[in-house]
Parts: sequence; C-alpha cells; structure tokens
Amino acid sequence: MSVSLTRRRIRLLNRACWTIALCVVAIPFVFPFLWMVSSGFKSAAEIFGSPSLVPREWQWRNFIDVFNYQPFARQYFNSLYIAVTVTTLTLLVSSLAGYALARMRFAGAALIALFLMSALMVPEEVTIIPNFFMMRWAGLVDTHWPLILLPTFGPQGIMATFLMRQYFLALPKELEDAGKMDGLSRLGVWWRIALPMSRPALAAVAIITFLNSWNLFLEPLIFVSSLQKFTLPLALSNFTDPYGMPLWHLQLAATSLAVVPILIVYLIAQRQIIESFALSGVKG
Amino acid sequence: MTSLSLSNIKKNFGKVEVIRGVDLSVDDGEFVVFVGPSGCGKSTLLRMISGLEDISSGVLRIGGRTVNETPPARRGVAMVFQSYALYPHLNVRDNMGFGLKVRKVPTEERARRINDAARTLKLEPLLDRYPRELSGGQRQRVAIGRAIVGDPEVFLFDEPLSNLDAELRVHMRSELASLHKRLGSTMIYVTHDQIEAMTLADKIVVLRDGLVEQVGTPRDLYERPGNLFVAQFIGSPKMNILPFGSVAKALPGSPGRASHVGMRPEDLTLTDPGSGLVSGRVLLSEYTGASSLLHVELPGGEVFLVAYDGPSIEPDTLLGLTIAPDRLHFFDSDGRRTQ
Repeated sequence: MSVSLTRRRIRLLNRACWTIALCVVAIPFVFPFLWMVSSGFKSAAEIFGSPSLVPREWQWRNFIDVFNYQPFARQYFNSLYIAVTVTTLTLLVSSLAGYALARMRFAGAALIALFLMSALMVPEEVTIIPNFFMMRWAGLVDTHWPLILLPTFGPQGIMATFLMRQYFLALPKELEDAGKMDGLSRLGVWWRIALPMSRPALAAVAIITFLNSWNLFLEPLIFVSSLQKFTLPLALSNFTDPYGMPLWHLQLAATSLAVVPILIVYLIAQRQIIESFALSGVKG
Repeated sequence: MTSLSLSNIKKNFGKVEVIRGVDLSVDDGEFVVFVGPSGCGKSTLLRMISGLEDISSGVLRIGGRTVNETPPARRGVAMVFQSYALYPHLNVRDNMGFGLKVRKVPTEERARRINDAARTLKLEPLLDRYPRELSGGQRQRVAIGRAIVGDPEVFLFDEPLSNLDAELRVHMRSELASLHKRLGSTMIYVTHDQIEAMTLADKIVVLRDGLVEQVGTPRDLYERPGNLFVAQFIGSPKMNILPFGSVAKALPGSPGRASHVGMRPEDLTLTDPGSGLVSGRVLLSEYTGASSLLHVELPGGEVFLVAYDGPSIEPDTLLGLTIAPDRLHFFDSDGRRTQ
C-alpha cells in the first residue's frame, strides 16, 4: 500500500517538474504573443508607460482604427485569396510534377530533378532582381501575379515538388498497375489512386505553402506599390505616423488580427503540421 | 471460347533480353502455371500478357484477337497481384467495384456483380471494411473478388499466395482450385512453389532464362522430364544425377547415348552395402515426420538424397541403394532426355 502510494507521489512529482519546466521553456514563445495581443488594446501612450500585460483602459477603438487608417479589409482579403490561390496551384503543379518525376520514365528525368534540387540552393534574394525585370517585361508589376506565380514556380513550389516526388516514390507500384488493369489512364492513376493516397504529403505541402504565402514580405515589397493591392505583411509595416515612426498600438492590433487565420490553420491541423515538418525536414 | 496464344514473344529491357522467344498456347478453361527459378522471366511474361509490359516482338492473341497494342483493361484479363494491391483508401466494396466504376457500369449492375462475387468468396460481412482491417487471407480473397467482378476471359495470378503463412496457403490453394472449377475460366498462375504448381495446374510451363524448357501436365513433368534442368527443378527433394559412366556396368541395356542418369529420392530403396546400384555412407539423416531424408555420400564424392521411412539410421552407416529400372531417367550430353 505504502509502496504504491510512494510510487504515485513520485509519478506526480515527476509530472509536476516536467510541467513547470515546459512552462518555463514556453515563456519566451508565448509571452511576446500575449504582449502583442494586450498591446493591441492599449493606447499609444500606455504602450510606452508602465509595462503591464493587462491594459489600464481597453482601447477597442484600435481595432476599428486599423480599418480606417488604410484599406485593411481589402488587404486582408488580398492575402487570403493569394494564399489560397498559391496553395491550390502549388498542390496541383507539385503533385503533377512530383508524380511525373517519381513515376514516369522519360529522357532527362534525373537531370530535371537535379536542376530542380540545385535551384533550392539559390537564395531567393539573389533572384529577386532578375525576377523583377522579368515581371516588368511581362507587365505584371503592381499586380498580384508575381505573388502567385513566383511562389508557385519558385523555391516553395520546387520544395513542394520535391516533397511530393519523394512521397510518390514510396507508393507501391503494384497499386498503379492495379489501376491500369482497372482501366485508368496515367492521369486517372494520378487523380484517383496516387492523390488520395498522398493525403499526408498534400496536407504538408498545403500547410507549408499557405504559411509561406501568408508571411511573404519581400515579393510584395518589390512588386506591389498600390495601397489597395498590399498584402498583410506589407500593410502591417505601413501603420506609421507622418514621420515614418510606427504606430505601435495600431500595428499590434492589426498583427493580432493577421494571425487569426494562422491560428485557425494550426488549431485545425496541429498533427499534420508536426508531420509536415518531419516530412519536409524543415524548421517551423 | 477464350484460348490464348503466344508466338515468338520477346521482351527487351534496353539491351538485356529477358524473354527470348516464347511460343505457347493455352486452351479455353485451362489452368496453366508458370514456374522457374528467380529471374527466369515468368512474372515478366505474365505482365506482358496483362498489358502492363510492352511486347518487344512476337504476337499475343487472346480469344483469337491480336492484343499486342491493346491496353490492359481492354484485353479481357484480370490480374491478382502478389501484394494484393488493394486500394487502401477504399473499402472492400469500392475496391471490388472500382474497375466497373471506371468502365461506367451502371450502379445496380455494379452492386449485383459485387454481391455475387462477395457471396462466392464469402466476403459479404467484410464489404464495408478497409483493407487495413482485413487479415492476409481476407485481403487475398478481396483481390480475387476484384478480379472476378470484371468477368474477365482470362485470370492472371502473380504469386498470389506467397505472402500467406503455410496453413492459409494450403487453404487458399484449395479455394483457388475450386474457384477454377466453378468459374471454368482460363487461368494463368505464376509461382515458384512447386506444390502449388503441381496441385493446381492442368499444364505447367517451366521457364529458364526467358525460354520455355518444357510444357506438360504435372505428371508428365515429374515422370518424364524433358531435360536435366526440368528433372532437377520439378520434384522436391530434387532428383539425384550421376554421370552415366559410374553406373553403366550395373545397367546393361541402357540407352547408348546416355550421359547422365537421374534417380528421384523417393524411388530409391536401401539395401546392403556393396549390393544395389551404388553404395555410400550416410552423412546426415533429416527426420521430417512422415519420413526421413538421408544424405548419402557416394565414393565419387557426390551426395545423394534418399527419402526413407524406416527406423532411424545413424550417420556414418554404410549402405547400398537400388532402384527399379523403369524409374531411371537418362539424359544425353546436351542434357536432353534420351528415352
């Protein structure tokens, strides 16, 4: 009896220690988030006054001013539709290209895969100027096209293609043979067998792509100049006074609003997100 | 009537010729088994018949139609794969009906065929389960069911039982035999398991290095192997082979052209040392329950296998071996049967 009681106590103590340790480790990650949300409810003066997590006076107005200061709703919508479009296109292109590279025998397949992989080594910043000239030549500057085309066919798209290729390589070939025996064309095998079986990889690609597109800053900064066409990362940096100094209370309120879709994605797909990082071998 | 014929069928992978000219005809309703050692091309040949592999040259006819260029789904064949190849994202019903759905068979007709096949294979209680929820034997039955619903003219089986445990294998073997009897369809079956080949086949095709070594009934192949390779490949334990010269004196009236003589382990009987056809020393006695397998070393160093069901024999015992003359197999210097 006493032995089992002692064991239970040890187990409880162990768990308590772990919980405290994890809470301590979580502080640097959680505190800035809480600070951001609480500061969104403070006045500009209070942010620089005595530091406190709870606002002295709740400034709900900040969240209205955010929309009055610039076309924030429009910018929010821009980010949302661009992220959804990029994600959809990337899923389509990367799964088709990945399938072709993994499963179809054609001349130069290995070389193409090698080229794609080597493109991943090139930093995005290096290609931004040639990309800008290309987009200007195509008449796409100050439109949303560069923000859709570059991530879809650029490094993020290639990474997605690589992920899909690796996944398709591991799919049993006999399943495709069974599909062919059942009367499917190559495209039919991709659509009705390979894709439904690749849900984990597709989820990983979708999550990574959506987050990348949502957080994209450099490309909007270079390619978009009209306020109406801004995306959220650019819009957030635009909450400034006439002298260019940040309006922190508005910026933090807007940032709190901007993380809502990301939070929703995280809440819905926590498990897939962890799997996706494990699958892609990239950090979050 | 769905007969099948292969005329000088060849297959190259790059410069490597894996099927080197196969001629074969399969009659309607026949159960034909392809056997041969690993890499002999038996699975490739089956895949060529199914349409999953292109035919480099030669003519393949199914039911009188040349189908060299016909896509797999239009050849009237269905295939059961070694790994079952069930779609993991579909339940049993959808797995079985998938091909029919692709071919746009009406829903009612599809349901009727699925239910018929499920009844035949006792799969009715499993129709709503997913493949991961099934045992190996059940998965195998679903794979067969998927083949049946398409009502194919020819069934192709690629080592379908090799992933099952020994007991289930025996059970599925008999189920396959009865299924063949019930459906009366033409079936082509690839295996490296001799027992499967011998028990299921109307006709066995022995392949080696992309060529047909012999075609015949199981009894033909066992009792009258056409060459040394078939003689040693068919039968377990395998046939003992000796150079004819070493036993020529004891075998007056044997074919003059003989170069080798073969004796099946189960045809040999023990006798006193010095008498009989050959004598030797017991190296090892393997007790298998119903009988023992003796490894007997002959004076020339050859090791003979002898199936024996008497009292146990200790190693190093000297004994003689004899055999009925009509159970001897003679082969010429090219390895071909001489009688």
